[in-house]
Amino acid sequence: MNNNRPITTFQFMAVIISTIIGVGILVFPRYMVEYGGNSAPLMSILAIFAALIGCWFTASVCRKYPNETLFVFSRRLLGRGMADFSTIIIFLFFLNSTSSNMRQFGEVCITVLFKRTPIEILMLILLILVGLSVRRNIVKFTYIHVFYLPFILISVIIILMLSLKKIDGLNLLPILGNNFTLSSFSKGVFLSASLYQGTFILILLVPLMRKPKQAVKAANAALFFSGIFYTIIVIVSLGMFGMNEIELLIYPTLELARSASFGTGLLERLDAIFIVVWVISVFTTIFTNYYLAVYALRELIRIKDQRLISSFLLPFIFVLSLLPQNFFQVYDVALVTSVIGLIFLTVYPFLLWVVDLIRNKGGLSHEK
Amino acid sequence: MQDWNEKYLTFKQKKTPAKNKAITSQSTGSGNAHPTPQQKPVDLELKNNLQTIQEILGDNGDLVVRNFRMYGLYDAAIVFFFPLIDEEQIHEHVLKPLMNIPSAPLTIPTQLSDLPNFIWNITVHIARGSTTSDLNTLPISLVEGNVILFIDGVGQALTFNLRKNEHRSIEAPQTELTIRGSREGFIENLEANISLIRYRLQTPDFRVQTCPLGTRSRSQVALCYIEGIANPALIKKVMKRLSAIHTDSIIDAGYIEQFIEDQPLSPFPQVQSTERPDKSTAALLEGRAIILVDGSPFSLIVPALFNQFFQTIDDYTERFIVGSLIRLIRLVALIFSLFFPALYVSIISFNPELLPTEFAVALSGGRAGVPLPALLEVLVMEVFMEVLREATIRLPQMIGGALSIVGVLVIGQAAVAAGLASPTTVVVVALTTIGSFATPSYSTALALRMLRFPLIVLAGCFGLYGVMIGTLVIINHLLFLESFGVPYMTPYVPFKTTDMKDSVIRAPLWWMKQRPSFLNSPNSTRLAHQLPKAFSDLIFKDRGDEYE
Repeated sequence: MNNNRPITTFQFMAVIISTIIGVGILVFPRYMVEYGGNSAPLMSILAIFAALIGCWFTASVCRKYPNETLFVFSRRLLGRGMADFSTIIIFLFFLNSTSSNMRQFGEVCITVLFKRTPIEILMLILLILVGLSVRRNIVKFTYIHVFYLPFILISVIIILMLSLKKIDGLNLLPILGNNFTLSSFSKGVFLSASLYQGTFILILLVPLMRKPKQAVKAANAALFFSGIFYTIIVIVSLGMFGMNEIELLIYPTLELARSASFGTGLLERLDAIFIVVWVISVFTTIFTNYYLAVYALRELIRIKDQRLISSFLLPFIFVLSLLPQNFFQVYDVALVTSVIGLIFLTVYPFLLWVVDLIRNKGGLSHEK
Repeated sequence: MQDWNEKYLTFKQKKTPAKNKAITSQSTGSGNAHPTPQQKPVDLELKNNLQTIQEILGDNGDLVVRNFRMYGLYDAAIVFFFPLIDEEQIHEHVLKPLMNIPSAPLTIPTQLSDLPNFIWNITVHIARGSTTSDLNTLPISLVEGNVILFIDGVGQALTFNLRKNEHRSIEAPQTELTIRGSREGFIENLEANISLIRYRLQTPDFRVQTCPLGTRSRSQVALCYIEGIANPALIKKVMKRLSAIHTDSIIDAGYIEQFIEDQPLSPFPQVQSTERPDKSTAALLEGRAIILVDGSPFSLIVPALFNQFFQTIDDYTERFIVGSLIRLIRLVALIFSLFFPALYVSIISFNPELLPTEFAVALSGGRAGVPLPALLEVLVMEVFMEVLREATIRLPQMIGGALSIVGVLVIGQAAVAAGLASPTTVVVVALTTIGSFATPSYSTALALRMLRFPLIVLAGCFGLYGVMIGTLVIINHLLFLESFGVPYMTPYVPFKTTDMKDSVIRAPLWWMKQRPSFLNSPNSTRLAHQLPKAFSDLIFKDRGDEYE
């Protein structure tokens, strides 16, 4: 391939989907049920639309500047200082997101797979793997996502299909939940929407897309697809366990896998296999976050050497991921930061979009 | 002849299709074989010339200097290395006509400077050779298998290419056996190898660019491609890499491979080497380039992708359904040989709950007396197996086969009886080894064999998680890899629908209308007719006719 816009629309969508499906799979049903009880499926559907707002603004503002990344054209739109300040926030957010994902992954590993192995070593292995992969360019980054996506989807779909027969429809009712309050409902929607910040990766992909015009449509479709995917997980686990039991389970999706079995024959328990395949989806998610953090820092200090920055950030992410004291703190911090991230990643593109609109109206031309 | 750098530069500038530069074009070649800083003219005195040549070449037992009187009129001498030359031909075609005193002496030119032309036109009957006045090129043409004729009083020397081509006869390839396919393999001789391809590819567009490579060995290296099918950018890239080789010797095609590959630190081969002329021809027709080296029975196919390494010629000669199934089985064997021992270790030491209970009990019963942990047990057995395998390659053929069977049976049985290994481990190790033999490409099988060991260690330390991490490392590496600018995992990622027809499955030949798209061939269609109609005609109409 000798053209310099090698990323197809399909690959673009694959990156977004495999980024979004990540660590969250395991705990997502519990969060939703904790906030909304039986209204969890409804919340997660609404959350898709909440997330679509930010996604739409990001994609449409990127589409207007199909030859540059957001980091570059934001400098022109907002001025150097403002843009750099936002880049710092983006960098810090994705740095934190990387380490938080890493820690959540480690927590799952020590509770499910290795009860006595130190969490540090488990995390370090994955971190080094990601750190080495981040050194490559965006096209290779895309290839990785595209290659792994089928494995992620197929494994989850198999688990879901095996669980379908155990769903009890009564568990899903009433759809609005038993004690519906607007505040907890909207909180749940917010929380669920924050799962989708991975779509922000599109700012790096659009400049390499073969048809950047399709960016908005493709990003929305990808987000919608993964949203539906999450919703189905919520529906299946709610239908199978019911709201009261889910609240007791730390990782409801894992319990789905645990109760699923392949007949009575060869594979009696699928949870270990499920966790192993889940490592792939964690890898792709952390990979994207790490990549964004590295790229943001690269743009911030304006050096080209991605390898250097990748290696430089690795110890920081590692230490950052070890900071929370325990399991509960990990999730509390993750919740707060992801909601902050959601707000920022919706408001900032919106701001850019508005500025672009005003500047355009004012007659200042920019390259289309 | 030029060197690779000049060839690359001329190719780069060339806009129009080149004229055929086949190997036979040496006869027209007039330049320097080996560019030397200064030219030294051939002396008029025969004695001086011979002295200079002998000074340069030193004391050699196989250098022959034969003085004679040409046409009974002129003093002359021929110089050659007799092991390289066919002496029969010298007697018949050089000495006999030159020493013959012609019946009509008037035809012999009286002007000394006319002599070289006269000799070429009238006397010697040799196709390849040249006239040169540069003394410095002569030692090189001597070692290349030329006979040099000096004439007293003539400031030029004549070289005749009478190189003796001694080579073994063409046999079936040793490493790539097929059931249904040609039985011919390349041999060491470059000309014979090119002829093997040329007679399969009777198109005037077939190009062979040859040049010596290696300052000492001066091995002839031939770059072959089909003009109009191979992408010129690819040929340019290959030439550029060849021209960048500065070494003193190219002993085998493997040397070239290591100089031109994209990522030398990768365990995976990025250049395919094959002994089969039919495979090379097929590669040429897909738009790839091949490199042949004089003295090596292997041709190098570039670019080479992961996809190619579990394909054989059998897949294409056999009917497509069966061909596809066999290819799938080979892929299974490939995955098997890489993962099986690692999965075994991780399941028995970390996740025995994945196994059915009865089997898990039987398994642990077998392992009862084994003193080593599973990791070490498998590792030790695998290392034994590798040692055995390496030993059988080196053993003389007569006892090699016997030892491998004895080795596997006796050592395996003894290890179980002595309580060093469990029976299941022996089975796993044996299956893995057999699986790795199913991979047709030796170098890929080698890479996978070696990658198995880190996976086993990871499995022993971190169970399935470790295997997964190891797998991710390997797959990421494969995805990052490129061969001559083509992503290594094409057509899987980046996904190409048309190329998927020749991937894990092999689509019917009449369906594969396009050459591989990632090679960007200027002439990408290989089937002329519209397929569905022709096929339905073939199936329904023609068959129907027979019974009407």
